[in-house]
Amino acid sequence: MIRALGLASGYGPRPVVRDVNLAVRPGEFVAVIGPNASGKTTLLKTLASLLRPLGGVVYLDGRPLTELKQREIARRVGVVLTESVKPGRLTVFELVALGRYPYTGPLGRLSENDRGEVMRALRDVGVEHLCNEVFSKLSDGQRQKVMIARALAQDPRVLILDEPVTFLDPKARVDILLSLRRICRERHIAVLASLHEIELALRLADRLLVVHDGFVESFDSPEEFVAKGGPEALYGLEGDANFSAVHMAMELRHHRSRQPVFVIAGAGTGALVYRMLSRLGYPIITGVLHRGDIDYSVASLLGARVVSEEPFRPVSREAFEEAQEAAGESFAAIYTSPPLGPMNSANQLLAKLLASCGVPLIVYGGGAVDGAWRRASTLSEVASALEELEQHRPRSGPRQVKPSCQSTAHLNTGAGPMAPRDT
Amino acid sequence: MEIRAGACHRVVGASRQRARLELLLTMIVVLLALFVFSILIGGGTLGLGEAVAALFGWSSPENNMVMHSVRLPRALASLLCGAALGVSGAVLQALFRNPLADPYILGVSAGSSLTLALSILLGVTFGWWGAYSPYSLYLSAFMGALAVTLLMMIVSGFVRSVTTILVAGIMVGYVAYAVTSIVQALVEIERLRVFTYWILGSFSGARWSILGPGLPMLVACVVGSMLIAKPLDALLLGEDYARSMGMRMGLARLGLVTLASVSVAMVTTIAGPIGFVGLCAPYIARQALGTPAHRTLLPASALAGAILAMSADLAARLVARPVELPITAVTSLFGGPLVIYLLLRGRSIQA
Repeated sequence: MIRALGLASGYGPRPVVRDVNLAVRPGEFVAVIGPNASGKTTLLKTLASLLRPLGGVVYLDGRPLTELKQREIARRVGVVLTESVKPGRLTVFELVALGRYPYTGPLGRLSENDRGEVMRALRDVGVEHLCNEVFSKLSDGQRQKVMIARALAQDPRVLILDEPVTFLDPKARVDILLSLRRICRERHIAVLASLHEIELALRLADRLLVVHDGFVESFDSPEEFVAKGGPEALYGLEGDANFSAVHMAMELRHHRSRQPVFVIAGAGTGALVYRMLSRLGYPIITGVLHRGDIDYSVASLLGARVVSEEPFRPVSREAFEEAQEAAGESFAAIYTSPPLGPMNSANQLLAKLLASCGVPLIVYGGGAVDGAWRRASTLSEVASALEELEQHRPRSGPRQVKPSCQSTAHLNTGAGPMAPRDT
Repeated sequence: MEIRAGACHRVVGASRQRARLELLLTMIVVLLALFVFSILIGGGTLGLGEAVAALFGWSSPENNMVMHSVRLPRALASLLCGAALGVSGAVLQALFRNPLADPYILGVSAGSSLTLALSILLGVTFGWWGAYSPYSLYLSAFMGALAVTLLMMIVSGFVRSVTTILVAGIMVGYVAYAVTSIVQALVEIERLRVFTYWILGSFSGARWSILGPGLPMLVACVVGSMLIAKPLDALLLGEDYARSMGMRMGLARLGLVTLASVSVAMVTTIAGPIGFVGLCAPYIARQALGTPAHRTLLPASALAGAILAMSADLAARLVARPVELPITAVTSLFGGPLVIYLLLRGRSIQA
């Protein structure tokens, strides 16, 4: 177990990080996050005793670091740093065996037990098949795994990693982080890793140590951190991006310079359409969506104007009319063929109505609507259809809706889907 | 699974190990052959039988004398100095994490020469021995070597670039040589003759009077270096990693700097500044053995250094017979191009 009390760390007389209090238990995975130059590396190096604290104390298994010999610390703390190592033609086995340094005698000769530990470390990160390869000839991801194995060969109680996956491809990232997570539990060691990949950190870590402007801002579970609006505050995401608590992910707000598109969706059929429209710069109007529908949350995150209905209620007349009116501002509509049932069958009706009133309707996703302008089987067909419409219709004010379309009364023959709101 | 994984290391590892052992044995054989060659050849060539007889004092008094006070010390000196240079080169390269580190290039030899010049020409001493005592010479050479090594350590703390350190070292060397030249200019011509030849580097001056006290130290440096393989290996990963694995950086640095400085000081006192052996020997050892692991690399560097120094000494004696060439003239012929090659290749250390 590693603990810090009132820790201040830095290089000069002025600390980069101060007032750090933390305790990490064995088997706990802590992700250290924060903007660049917030002091993450400095803090981790101090915890690993590679930097002398400017104030405060670091305790390892209850004893202050200053009272421990370098070798005793090395038997308890393993580190993986960001600097790239260039050990010439050292093989993977030889490199990982260096991790036995604090256990071997003055000549560095490996005992059977040392060899066993090296192999165990290689196996834990899944690189034992590389043991005779030359380290410098491996891929970046493999090298990083070997460096982790080297730290594990020290048989540490605490594993400290500085940006272990920053320059790796997505597969290697996930691969390495998941192995770290597993090793953390299986070996029952405390893991502290600084990560820039906040979305991965949120999905992986037991707790997030948030470092900002030289202070520890919070030390909570990821869910707690998100619930408190942590990500938005940390990265100052006003205007440019949204952080979705539901998806634990960042959404970008694109600049929208084109004319609005109306989307009729539901049950997740619209998610990719929304993302595409958002990326292409079309303002989105959508409806009628039930609150809590996955399309509802995606569209809201992307900053769409959403006409919505209460969850598990049939679409009301008010919502229907609101949607119809909103659709008047768009130059085109897209129907994403959602599964239909008593609660949302009005949406198909809405599509038909718009088509009959002269709104060019693009049907995507295999459905059929009478009077549709075009059917698109792929998203790129949707995109090119919109381009085509845009060229034929020079920018102008809101489209005039035909008088016959002002009212929906003539369509409202059946009962169910068009029930008034409060019945 | 465990057995297979363990076996995978052991099988391949063992065959590699055997290949390396064979290489080391080959180097030892070559070295012995050079040694024999070296004591056979001189002003007059002795036959093998005569040489062996002279070695044991059974030949004519002149032969015995030539063998014992000229050839044997010279052969021993070139062998041990070469080995010491090889080792100090390997140590400096690990310490500076720079494949171009070499006592000559970093100016360490020049530092030694300067303090030696002060001792020999001006009688400045650092110990309680007289100015011409070998101990006094060794000590002053050590002071110069240590001062420059420490200076270069400080420089390398600020500069990361391999080439910048190289240039800084060469400049330190120039300054030291400049001061040495000024000292030389101030001294009357009589005392200079020996010195002028010495400063070009040559094993011709190796006599028991100077070699005797130094030999045990040289042997200790070469053998003792085998004990520092472990920290040197850890340094392959850089200082932060080395410390994180339990290495006490300050102590290790002190030990390594001292070892390298003592080696260079001994060599410079015995034979003058000798260039490039410390650069080439570790390079050859690494290329031949295919590993940067110091448990193998250090003995191999010592052997390669000894072979290089002995062959260079033989070449210096034979090429323009009866005139002897300065030894650095010979070593620079292969050392210079190697530096250029390493710079052009531009890869980082110990590839």
